[in-house]
Amino acid sequence: MTHLGIPSSALSNIFLQMKTLSSGKLGKIQKRHNPEPSRQTGFPSAATHYTEPPIDLHKELVLNRDATFFARIEGDEFKEYDIQDGDVLIIDRSLSAVSNRLALTIVDGEFTVLRIPKKQVGSEFILWGIITYIIHYVQ
Amino acid sequence: MIALVDCNSFYASCEQVFRPDLWGTPVVVLSNNDGCVIAANKEAKALSEIPMFEPVFKIKKQLTDNNVTFFSSNYTLYGEMSQRVMNVLKTFSPQVEIYSIDEAFVDFAGMKYSSLEDYGHCIRKTVYRSTGLPVGVGVAPTKVLAKLANKISKKFAHINNNVCVIDTEEKRIKALKWAKINDVWGIGGKHAKRLQNIGVFTAYEFTQLPEEWVRKNMTVVGVRIWNELRGTSCIEFKTLPKPRKGIATAKSFGKKLEDLGMIMEACSYYISEVTEILRAQKSCATYLQVFLHTNYFSDRDKQYSKSITITLAMPTCDTFVLIYEAKKALELIYKPGYRYKKVGVCLSGIIPQEYVQGNLFHAPPKWNKNELLKTFDAINKKYGKSTVFSALVGTRVKEWELIKEDRSPRYTTQWKELLKVKAKKNLQKTEGF
Repeated sequence: MTHLGIPSSALSNIFLQMKTLSSGKLGKIQKRHNPEPSRQTGFPSAATHYTEPPIDLHKELVLNRDATFFARIEGDEFKEYDIQDGDVLIIDRSLSAVSNRLALTIVDGEFTVLRIPKKQVGSEFILWGIITYIIHYVQ
Repeated sequence: MIALVDCNSFYASCEQVFRPDLWGTPVVVLSNNDGCVIAANKEAKALSEIPMFEPVFKIKKQLTDNNVTFFSSNYTLYGEMSQRVMNVLKTFSPQVEIYSIDEAFVDFAGMKYSSLEDYGHCIRKTVYRSTGLPVGVGVAPTKVLAKLANKISKKFAHINNNVCVIDTEEKRIKALKWAKINDVWGIGGKHAKRLQNIGVFTAYEFTQLPEEWVRKNMTVVGVRIWNELRGTSCIEFKTLPKPRKGIATAKSFGKKLEDLGMIMEACSYYISEVTEILRAQKSCATYLQVFLHTNYFSDRDKQYSKSITITLAMPTCDTFVLIYEAKKALELIYKPGYRYKKVGVCLSGIIPQEYVQGNLFHAPPKWNKNELLKTFDAINKKYGKSTVFSALVGTRVKEWELIKEDRSPRYTTQWKELLKVKAKKNLQKTEGF
């Protein structure tokens, strides 16, 4: 069977592995390209062939737009996960339930944040989506 | 092969994605003016007491008695969720025809597959996984058969898990024998009755009629359906919709209005809405209809309704010209002393901008050079609906506009209305960490 589009879940997984290394060196650099004629009236810019579009956070943080939702936390219930009142979660529904990842889940018909346990058998939650980022406003 | 993918109880499902507390419970969605039930999920449909398309005030008691949750329609949310579903479908085939807000044809022509059933399940699972919305998938060689397969996928969901493939002659005949004639896509009530009168009750019996009879009695449209049911594809695959022939809007007021001034403001607001669409599809309208009526359901009020259609001097898409014309039209049909419930506008005779002919006194305007309208649209697109508007629209929109009391948050388009995650009520730290 051919599937002409790449399954979105697989796509997000590939991108997630491309993280910036902690030493300050860069991991695999995303190819970005933005050809434009030079705008200088005098000397053409030396940067002409090196221009790239500025960083677009949505592009960086949301890898699968059609499966990504946002949710806002109310209250301090989830402090143990470094999630505070007013934080916004970025949730990707297409990602797989890997143990230890933070997830938005449903327990007894209510949303709650959980770390996915190693043994998933016997645990009573329904996965809604994997939390990929927490947006926190710094006072 | 063609698949028809259709969301199950789309509006209600969109609401339930964000309300796990309502999973498995009856949910209905009310029409734009909270007038009547326009969508119900499986659980609500199972309650025979809930009639569709009934005014809500008549059935409010039944709704609450049966613990039915009702929502005002949240078209912003439904539109955005629909877009997500369609985007996911586009990863399964380069050919996707968006047929309505909740259904699409997916063409598998030229693709290799080993099992259509598996592919159908893959589509269903991926859409659910990405969006949380359940869909049914019907696969068949033609559109009409795909539509039928989809119907079967829903009817026998407990057996086929929402995927039905008609890929053999045997399955086709079985499906046709099962389908009642009025279940066939494209056969309206009138034709269905006529067919039943001559003893044709199933789709199968219909396909056994001679082609001549069908052509004579049901025109070429009937022959197309007849052929499609027999497995010969003859309804083309469209990827772009036809430009709309008529654009209309009419919404009930939040309260009854007597004053012409405020009705005129509402009317001007609707003109702004429809002319935006008109310009977006690069068309002009030849006719403008304006109508006005009181509340049919009210026994206390005097009733009045009137409609007027005017032919414009030259087809136009100019908001300001049309507001001026609508104002004149409204003054002609308005009668004081009535409590009005609704005003509506409808543009028709819609033609592409470049087809507009000049008349004796004026050359046809160059719409793409109209800087005022271009700037007007650009500002509203960038900063939001009605950032700039005609002064005739006025600033009292909130006074006449209907407030949708039970509308859910616009979870996916408004930063201030995001899904809220709170501490669980029944967990309250009882588990002793």
